[in-house]
Parts: sequence; structure tokens; C-alpha cells
Amino acid sequence: MNDDQAKTPGLSDAELQRYARQLGDGVLSEQGQLRLKQSTALVTRVGGMGGPAALMLAMAGVGRVIIAHGGEMISPDLNRQVLGSEAVIGHPRSEPFGEYLRTMNQFIEVEAIDHEPDDEEADELAQRVDIIVSCPPTFEERLRLNRAAVDAGIPLIDAAQWGMTGTMMVVEPAKSACLACVYPETPPFEEFFPVVGAISSMTGTMAALEAIKILSGTGKPVFGKMLTYDAFEGRMTTIHLERRADCPVCS
Amino acid sequence: MEIRIVVTGRSYHTAAAVPETLVLDEGASLDDALQLINDALEEGASLPGSCLIAIDNQHMGTVASHSNTVLQCGQELVLIAPVAGG
Repeated sequence: MNDDQAKTPGLSDAELQRYARQLGDGVLSEQGQLRLKQSTALVTRVGGMGGPAALMLAMAGVGRVIIAHGGEMISPDLNRQVLGSEAVIGHPRSEPFGEYLRTMNQFIEVEAIDHEPDDEEADELAQRVDIIVSCPPTFEERLRLNRAAVDAGIPLIDAAQWGMTGTMMVVEPAKSACLACVYPETPPFEEFFPVVGAISSMTGTMAALEAIKILSGTGKPVFGKMLTYDAFEGRMTTIHLERRADCPVCS
Repeated sequence: MEIRIVVTGRSYHTAAAVPETLVLDEGASLDDALQLINDALEEGASLPGSCLIAIDNQHMGTVASHSNTVLQCGQELVLIAPVAGG
């Protein structure tokens, strides 16, 4: 730690020590770190993708991380849900997941919601967060969070997975395509989809990195793009997304 | 002319028989290419209407909702079947 870091208002010496490896050229500035501390992020849900996303946001120093996930953890979840453990199987997961996040960073606050937000709650949450990291399995939930983010004028990062493929898109409200622009016809839900945990973590971590960039003002967010990594084929694709003039959500 | 085909996303194994390059007549359109791809899918399978279409990394819409366009030799047509999963 140098003298300048020690003088940064709003960040204690202990915090600067904690984040020392992510401060400097090519990573975050001290002001960026302070912006992270002053930020609130909503991550829903916190399974295979949202769990690693929430963990990275917490460890990076996002001041308040709100997680939402209903239901009990089951054995097949443990191939990818990194916030869980054998001890959580058969139990509701939001509280133990939240507690785990708290053990990873004493300098932040974690709020755990034990259900998925409905329309009204999504709107309410969008009003008190700075960004939404959307990782639900259903398009109904993803489109709900997309609408809430667009209405609130906050960025949304949508992460999705299937098999060994992960996709991520970053929405800048009123400026770039939203999820409803990309999927004007709601795709069907597939409950028992195949997935390898490594692609879940990779996709969730990519989403967290975009959130960290946006919240801290670091680097170039991939607004308006969809990144797809097809690990089965070993192929990365970037799609430049177009807004729809007739989008019922963002136009 | 030839164009490259990339099919990815959900259930893309149903497109295993789709060739990596497609031979089309000069002046062929996106819809012509989609028809050939559908013909090459597993019996009974079809591209989902919500499948995202991109040509040379530029978003063109979905299978169910897109503007038809004339394809050029050497272009890459990407089809991403929607993925979800939490």
C-alpha cells in the first residue's frame, strides 16, 4: 500500500489492504473501488451462475449485495452451486448462501431474500439497487428483471447456460438492446436442462466482471452485445445486438 | 457461393448433421439458408422460433421475426438457440 492509497477518503486502511491486488493500472482505481463500496447489486437467482457472480461481487467489495433465491437445495444442485455445501442439501438456501458470502468479506453487507421477486418486488428492488445480475432459469423471470431494470433505468446483465454453453448480454437501458428486443417470442422453459458446473461458474463470473466494470467505472462494458462461449465446440462468439423499434419494454 | 454455419445454444446436437459450410446459389437469401438448415436437422426437429440469428456477428432477429436479406459469399451465419438455466 502506498501513501496515496492510505489517504483515500471512504476506504479504510484495512479495506485498501484487502483490495490491494485489484487496485492499480489495468484494474480498478481507488475511486473505482470507492464507487463499488457505495454500490448495491441485486443477484437473482444465486445457483450455478448467480452464486459465483454474487461471490465475486462480494469479494470485489460491492458495498451491498442482495441475493434472491427460493426453494431448498437438492443433491444435483451441488455440481454447480458454489455457495452451497453438503450441509445445505434439504434446506432453504438463501440464508446459508448469504451467510457464506458474509464470511468472505467483512467490509460489505449481504441481504438474502428467500424467494424470487414477483413483478412488484422486482420493481421495488430495481429502485434501490444500482445494477441487476439476472441468472434465473426461466425466461419469465429473466424478462421480468429486464423490464424492471429498463423501467428503473439501471443496467442489467443477463446470464444463461445450457450444457457446456454460456451466454451473457449487458443491457444499457434506452441505449442498447434489452432482453425483450432479443427474444420477442418468449422461449419455452426446460426444467431439467443439462449443465456442467464449470460453464455455470464461467458465465456467472463473466457477468460479475461486467458488473464490477460498470459499477466502478472501469474498462469498456460490453453494452449491447451477447457473448456466447460454446465450450463443447471450443468457440467464442460475440453478437452485436440490435434494438427493436417495436419493443414493448424499451422503445 | 459458400457461407459458414454456426449452430449453438440449447439442443444444438439436433443440428449435428448441419454442414459447417452451406452451398447456395448466387443471390440466395437468409430464408433460403434457413430452409436448407431446417432440412438438415434431425427428423422432426426444427429451429425454434426464438432462435437468435446473426450474420457476421450482426444481430438479425430471430427465426420467427427477422428481415430477409441477400447473403454474400463468405459470410458467417450464426444461430443461437435460447439458453436459460440458473
